[in-house]
Amino acid sequence: MSKTLNRRDFIKTSSATAVGVATIASGITLTTFAANANENPVTNAKRWGMLIDTNKLTEVEIDGMVSACQQENGWGGEVHSTGDQKPTWVKKLKVKDKATGRITSLPLMCQHCEEPPCVDVCPTNASMKREDGIVLVDKHLCIGCRYCMMACPYDARSFVHEDLTDQREHMPRGKGTVESCTLCVHRVDKGETPACAASVNSDAVIFGDLYDATSKINQTLKKVQSTQIRADLNLNTGVRYSGI
Amino acid sequence: MYRLVTVLMVLLVGNVFAHGHPGHPNLGEEASSIKASGKIFHTDGLSVIRMMHPEFLNHKRDKTLREGVRTKEGSLKGCVNCHANKDKKTNQYYSVNDKDQFCSTCHQKVSVSVDCFSCHRTTPRKGTK
Amino acid sequence: MNIRYEETQGRSLGFYALIAGLGVFILAALGAVYYMEHHGHYVTGMSNRIVWGIPHVFALFLIVAASGALNVASIASVFNKKMYKPLSRLSGLVALALLAGGLMVLVLDLGRPDRLIIAMTEYNFKSIFAWNIILYNGFFVIVAVYLWMMFERRMNKFTSKAGLAAFSWRLILTTGTGSIFGFLVARQAYDAVIMAPMFIIMSFAFGLAFFILILMASYKWTERPLGDAVVNRLGSLLGVFVAVVMYFVAVKHLGNLYLAENAGVENFILFDGGIYTQLFWLGQIVLGGLIPMALIYHPALKDNRSTLGLASILVLIGGVIQLYIIIVGGQAYPMEMFPGKEILEGYGGIAAYTPSLPEIMLGVGGIAVALIAVTFLVKILPFLPESLADKVADSHQQA
Repeated sequence: MSKTLNRRDFIKTSSATAVGVATIASGITLTTFAANANENPVTNAKRWGMLIDTNKLTEVEIDGMVSACQQENGWGGEVHSTGDQKPTWVKKLKVKDKATGRITSLPLMCQHCEEPPCVDVCPTNASMKREDGIVLVDKHLCIGCRYCMMACPYDARSFVHEDLTDQREHMPRGKGTVESCTLCVHRVDKGETPACAASVNSDAVIFGDLYDATSKINQTLKKVQSTQIRADLNLNTGVRYSGI
Repeated sequence: MYRLVTVLMVLLVGNVFAHGHPGHPNLGEEASSIKASGKIFHTDGLSVIRMMHPEFLNHKRDKTLREGVRTKEGSLKGCVNCHANKDKKTNQYYSVNDKDQFCSTCHQKVSVSVDCFSCHRTTPRKGTK
Repeated sequence: MNIRYEETQGRSLGFYALIAGLGVFILAALGAVYYMEHHGHYVTGMSNRIVWGIPHVFALFLIVAASGALNVASIASVFNKKMYKPLSRLSGLVALALLAGGLMVLVLDLGRPDRLIIAMTEYNFKSIFAWNIILYNGFFVIVAVYLWMMFERRMNKFTSKAGLAAFSWRLILTTGTGSIFGFLVARQAYDAVIMAPMFIIMSFAFGLAFFILILMASYKWTERPLGDAVVNRLGSLLGVFVAVVMYFVAVKHLGNLYLAENAGVENFILFDGGIYTQLFWLGQIVLGGLIPMALIYHPALKDNRSTLGLASILVLIGGVIQLYIIIVGGQAYPMEMFPGKEILEGYGGIAAYTPSLPEIMLGVGGIAVALIAVTFLVKILPFLPESLADKVADSHQQA
């Protein structure tokens, strides 16, 4: 359920929506969409996703993705937290097939589920999913109960164990709240790709709109075989993998 | 009873003066230069922004975070960028919520804590990104 | 014959010593909270793998025990067993006090306890946690009303209706508490519907153990008569509850062993989990289950207050250990993320957890808060019958 609006907000939103509808109805084409994308709420016409091909991705590139994320979002410089207390928005995983012994490396981060368990369990609506499928923590509402961390099947969330200063301007982070990969929502809203995807030069990592039939990610997913991690949970993740 | 009323009245009057502070001592680098140039940034009037800034910020935060609306209006980044002061000697910015800096001057006076900066950056962004 | 209730005097040296002793624990807990909140959770043993540590163990232990402590009153007013009626007021009080202690620990371990108001104003109705907030608050209200019906002579006729409401509410409440874990599909240690009924029966045992100890202590220290009939009845009831807890534990673990997906975590807890395995067999099963049952049922030890007191203490210690294994042990074992594959690097392995002193002090502080609340309230309001001698209890039963 989305955040409840008070009456004033509601009036504002509905008038904004009315304006939006009017512009479309009056014949202004949808191609001007990109220009004012930041003024209108995101919609569920899009679903952002990522396809990671572990056959093409080298371990060096995965390390590069991790440090690109740290650089972009400012995590990893914590001084007091030790071991498992350090925040990890994305990590490199190495898995071995028990039968064949084949080893695969992959980056693991928030999988941006369509049915996110973290959102279901959050008592205050702080864990939330945007209309375009990006799962976020609203740190204004997060009370630090950590139930979402218990519920996440991907160990994707971190709790900030210490005071932080000098955060990135676009990425507020603070002690006592939970955080995770935002799919670089601040970049996506500007029309850019997430920092990790941008750091890889090949097409081993493809970011895009899963619903858009002309997008590269959509077309590739139609051709190649891909999987979701813990597909048995039926969460319909936005991050897909091929090669594992 | 009268004593209690007197105390309450003094507190209320104190509040009024806190809002009516003539000339903010720590207006911030950019804000000071805008003011010096005679331009007006808060066109709705200072009393509106003084009274309503929590509502503006809360409204904007929900629009941005939950709906992806990223306009400049009501953006906390804007407040910080404009209202941060520099230490003249070191050429470093003070945090806007440091003691006697822009946010704190009033907030200290009226004893209202500011929760923004337990997560948000307190100085204008660095030159690079 | 009417039961006469009377406030405790609360002027003896022992009373002040008890208050002072508990006060020290409470101050220590508050100091620990200040320390943890000032620095952040890095000063605790908790991490991103063990996100809930000792404070949650104590908090859930107290919350579970709270709902169970109300049972004595329910037996009287719902199941109409007159013998338990004089105990009803104390039962309601102990329930409220334990819940208050547990909630204090739960709230003070939040990352942002200063934002508690958000938990009261922003509700996600899909969240079991949010439901629990409603259930806990409702429990306070319903039990308070129930106590009022018992205290106020004019309202006595509604006691059984209020009692039924309170009993139903407490069953839902413990179901909710158990479901906090039961609905975590991602974690093999928790994802089982049996968690909810198991928590209910655990609450029966822990709550009754608390009640027996508080009852015996308060009658001894106030030098009021407490007959064997009442105590022995409560003792054998405790034995039954402990046995049923063990039955549920057995069913849960056997059922889990059967599922290949959950076999890993089961083997971990039952056989090769190091400290968790030792805690399970020695702490939970032997100390918290077999020994108390022997103390209660063995003919040589039977019907003896000292052994019953010891049995109750062991049930409580076993209960804390049981929740430690469920909460911490369940998190320590990694989630099954890639069935059929082994994770070599980046995740997996048993997560380390060493409880820090401040965490333990916070948890123990919760128990102290519950006990100090009982100590004060029995002084302020007439919760305790002036006599529970066999003669009184018997005649009341026949009345």
